[in-house]
Amino acid sequence: MHFAIRFLTEYHYDAPVTDNLNSLRVRPATTSTQRCDEFHTRIEPEARIARHLDYFGTEVIEFGVPTPHDHLTIDVRARVVTSNQPDPREGSWESLRSASYTDAAGEFALPWQDQPTIAGLEDLEAAISAETPLKTLERLCQVIPERFEYRPGATYVGSGVDELLRKKAGVCQDFAHLSLVLLRRMGIAARYVSGYLWAAPDDAASDSLEVDTHAWVEALLPDADEGGEPQWVSVDPTNRRLADSSHVKIGHGRFYADVAPVKGLFIGGATSTLSAAVTLSLLDPQSGAKP
Amino acid sequence: MQSRAASGGLADGTEMPALDAAPVRDADAVYRPRPPFLDELFERDGTPRPTARALVAALAQLGPAGLIEAGRRRDAIFMQQGITFETGGGDGPTHDRPFPMDLVPRVLGGAEWTSIKRGLAQRIRALNHFVDDVYHTREIVHERIVPWRLVASCSHFARAVHGIRPPGGVYTHVAGCDLVRHSDGSWRVIEDNVRIPSGISYVLENRAAMARLVPELFASYRVRPIDHYPQLLLGALRAVAPSAESEATVVVWTPGPANPAYFEHAFLARQMGVELVEASDLVVRDDVLYMRTIKGLERAHAVYRRIDDDFVDPLEFRGDSLLGVPGLVRAYRAGNVAIANALGTGVADDKAVYRFVPEMIRFYLGEEPILENVRTYLPSDPEVLEHVLGHLDELVVKPTGESGGRGVMIGPHADEVEIAQMRRLLLAAPDRWIAQDVVELSTVPVVDADGLLVPRHVDLRPFAVFGERIDIVPGGLTRVALEEGSLIVNSSRGGGSKDTWVLEDGDDADRAGPPIADTQPPALPDLRYGTWVAQQQQQQQEQPQQRGVRCPAPRR
Amino acid sequence: MLARIAHELYWLGRNLARAEFTARAVEAVLQAELQGASDAAPGVSFGSGGLLAMLGDDHGQGNTSRTLGQLILDRERPESMLASIERARDGARTVRDVISAEMWQAINTTALGLHRAGQPGWGTPAGPFLASQYIKERTSLIWGIANRSMLRDEAKCFLDAGGLIEISDMVLRMLHVAMPPTDSPPADGTALILLQAVGGFHAYLRAVTAPPNADPVARFLLFERSYPDSVAACVDSLHEVFMVADAGPRNSKPVLRVSRLAADLDFQRRALPEGSELTGICSETRQELGYLDQDVAERYFAGAAAAGPRGEL
Repeated sequence: MHFAIRFLTEYHYDAPVTDNLNSLRVRPATTSTQRCDEFHTRIEPEARIARHLDYFGTEVIEFGVPTPHDHLTIDVRARVVTSNQPDPREGSWESLRSASYTDAAGEFALPWQDQPTIAGLEDLEAAISAETPLKTLERLCQVIPERFEYRPGATYVGSGVDELLRKKAGVCQDFAHLSLVLLRRMGIAARYVSGYLWAAPDDAASDSLEVDTHAWVEALLPDADEGGEPQWVSVDPTNRRLADSSHVKIGHGRFYADVAPVKGLFIGGATSTLSAAVTLSLLDPQSGAKP
Repeated sequence: MQSRAASGGLADGTEMPALDAAPVRDADAVYRPRPPFLDELFERDGTPRPTARALVAALAQLGPAGLIEAGRRRDAIFMQQGITFETGGGDGPTHDRPFPMDLVPRVLGGAEWTSIKRGLAQRIRALNHFVDDVYHTREIVHERIVPWRLVASCSHFARAVHGIRPPGGVYTHVAGCDLVRHSDGSWRVIEDNVRIPSGISYVLENRAAMARLVPELFASYRVRPIDHYPQLLLGALRAVAPSAESEATVVVWTPGPANPAYFEHAFLARQMGVELVEASDLVVRDDVLYMRTIKGLERAHAVYRRIDDDFVDPLEFRGDSLLGVPGLVRAYRAGNVAIANALGTGVADDKAVYRFVPEMIRFYLGEEPILENVRTYLPSDPEVLEHVLGHLDELVVKPTGESGGRGVMIGPHADEVEIAQMRRLLLAAPDRWIAQDVVELSTVPVVDADGLLVPRHVDLRPFAVFGERIDIVPGGLTRVALEEGSLIVNSSRGGGSKDTWVLEDGDDADRAGPPIADTQPPALPDLRYGTWVAQQQQQQQEQPQQRGVRCPAPRR
Repeated sequence: MLARIAHELYWLGRNLARAEFTARAVEAVLQAELQGASDAAPGVSFGSGGLLAMLGDDHGQGNTSRTLGQLILDRERPESMLASIERARDGARTVRDVISAEMWQAINTTALGLHRAGQPGWGTPAGPFLASQYIKERTSLIWGIANRSMLRDEAKCFLDAGGLIEISDMVLRMLHVAMPPTDSPPADGTALILLQAVGGFHAYLRAVTAPPNADPVARFLLFERSYPDSVAACVDSLHEVFMVADAGPRNSKPVLRVSRLAADLDFQRRALPEGSELTGICSETRQELGYLDQDVAERYFAGAAAAGPRGEL
């Protein structure tokens, strides 16, 4: 699918602030199933932009506004082409212990931070456990949205998995974190993915949609053959399915904080109000017109 | 000061001056080393070693009363100068007390020091390579020598600085590797410290204090000087600073007076003649680091930081840190500021990574390690775990996440309860611990409350500065466990320190040459350093006479 | 010199001077009470009410010794001497590496001394008097040590600048309270007390032939350059001090303002005939000093002030 993405964020401060430093992780990645064709950034007040790839390979845009100002506009536009991921192969649990799997998994198989004993995890683990890792992954996508309500406002950015389990409600970020905990406990390497989701609008004629950044999960599944390479498979537990061409990936990490879309600090005692909008537009692949 | 005749003599018949005995002790108050531990100043039979004879004689001359008196003067001086260290006695409140420096120096011969020096330089070079490798190509991981999971799970592995290469490729500008001397006489490295090693100020203050308090002890010795450390550090910082002019602006960055090591931060800043800054004095604009001065913003090119990585930049590390400077990592990435030690070096002094240092030396340098490791076991391997669990009463078990001697269990000293608890902890989280063979730390005499000499265990932390080359200050900080039989020497756990002497008795010398910033041809060691050091020794030997009253022992 | 350190030194100077002059004012009040209100002219009082007014607090004419007790040792009142000394001590601790150990010890001992309830006699009605004597002596000692043991560099300049600004401000306040603008001329006895309070009685006798009445005393305290604590002398010294501390004095707002103020005072001294109203000048000068304080903060400490609270997006 072809998309045009517009990430527009505006901050207003009730008093002038200075030394406003920000890092953005908003650019669609280029992967085997996705290609980012165009990318433009506009900042107001004007600021010099620096770019680099972080440890996880996500593109980071950094800028700073040193002089006093009372508003900040971040306007990012991109065009991206996505395709469906290949069908995942059905590997075995034994393959998880092979050297090639361990190598490919790296740190994503490590236990989740301090791994506090959270009540309810064993129960969930039992519920999703299946004959193969792939089947477990598929069950995960069913069980989690079944047992937890998607409710914005139930949790906040800093919430942990224990909050989700307690409140039985959360947002995609929480569902993703819970999935990571469960998968890693079972020996499956998994990573947190941040991106945009084209959730087809009710009005079929509309080709534009306002979205929030979305979170889902990539799990490393062993190959069906003994000697085959393990593959990263994307799944979206919030939406009960494997990810497909309607998912636009920005980047991955161990958890949310590794790929936070915007991180920033300023100097000044002001309170900031934020208005943010991410607009996804479906493009006709032939016309290639800019929105 | 009364002096009684010896109760025994040496095999060759020479009389040995006895130590004064206090009335309550038995008449035969000879110094008793504690085998199997090696005592560095005394032989097994209580006679002083050859290099220590003059020292022991001078100590006897002072006598217990003299030593006690000198100790009182020392306490007064240290309190007045503010050389204290905050101690926390377990759950008790912390309080400032004078840093316990014991009056008996530790003495190392020149030849012995040479091999230590070479071993340390080799080790530090390998560690530096390791840090560079970890944040770039990870060759040592691809060669399957160090498992990636070990590195990635290290709490000090700093993903934020991945891919950054600091000026000169130097990461471990200041290194303090802790050494111990085993009962077989060999030196082993027990721990590496390449994040923010501290203690050099005590080394310098101890030497100054000793010269004031007990100058007569120096009388028969040519002790290598150590006061050039601040110059070395300043030179190294200037050498790595990204600036065209030779006058780069260097600063010492401290978390503030509440930090227990603040004294050292202020001391070093003063000695180097540079500003001591806190986070509120620094700001990053356009990826350049500045200091806030009365003239406005002044650029800082090199920062000697005494703040843990986690608190250094709230944008990249802990977001709640008020001790950090937002944007510092950007300035670092842009190559606009040098940070010593580099961010992320903690990956090299992790207790579990320590186990692989000999392999690092072979891999990066193609050499055999000069200094040995202590045999270390990583219980994350199930077979190793089994072995460790079966020998808990013979091993030392340390948590990978702590420092300062906290949480350490010493098997042979532990009771059943402790051992059972350690077993539980190990089974619960085996990758959080390492186990090591017990090292039989050597002993050196200390002055006890009665003014008598008694043996206590010591270790050694030499300090190395890595700028354009690696320079190691002769000796270093000898830490001593003040409690009888204790093997834990950390200052935060009630340890003390000693002045450490490296004798000038060979060709090899340590005096750094002129500032490193000037390019210079390789020096001819004997000629150039020889005269320099001789002048220093001259000053040293004059000191006792300036003091006046006491007549020092005749010079050898 | 780091902006933060300069800022602390400046306020150290101000707090020390504030404590000292508050102590002097307290003493003056007590002297006045002892001598009896012989010049009980309406609207003029250098009693405790006047004292409180001088220190910026306008309510209540409470019981004298309690009021004074509050003035001296009430930690909650920012204008109390104890609060000033404690602020001075906190500041001194921050700049311990810059001031000498002796100076730090002197300040620290002073602060500890004020705490000790066991100080002989402080519980008695004579307590406030003894306390103010103590503070007077100690602050003189501290300045003495500073002047002898500190290098005459930027650090000393900021310390002095703080002291000088505070002294001039305090003198002007005392003048304002002792001789408020009324139709009837101010009582002369008050002027004498004021003069004694600031410690300039003997200097006055040597400098001025007229008896210590209201007008000559006011002129003396305002314009007499050879008396170090006069406003004009302080302003002159401020100019010197900023010339040393400032890297670019030609374009420096504080330096320019001080120069103008010095010139102004000089002009007024020559232009104003004897016996004319001085309250206008007093309040204008006070205002200028207020602006000067702002200029100083902006020019030298702006860095430190800018390191304010942080916000997150």
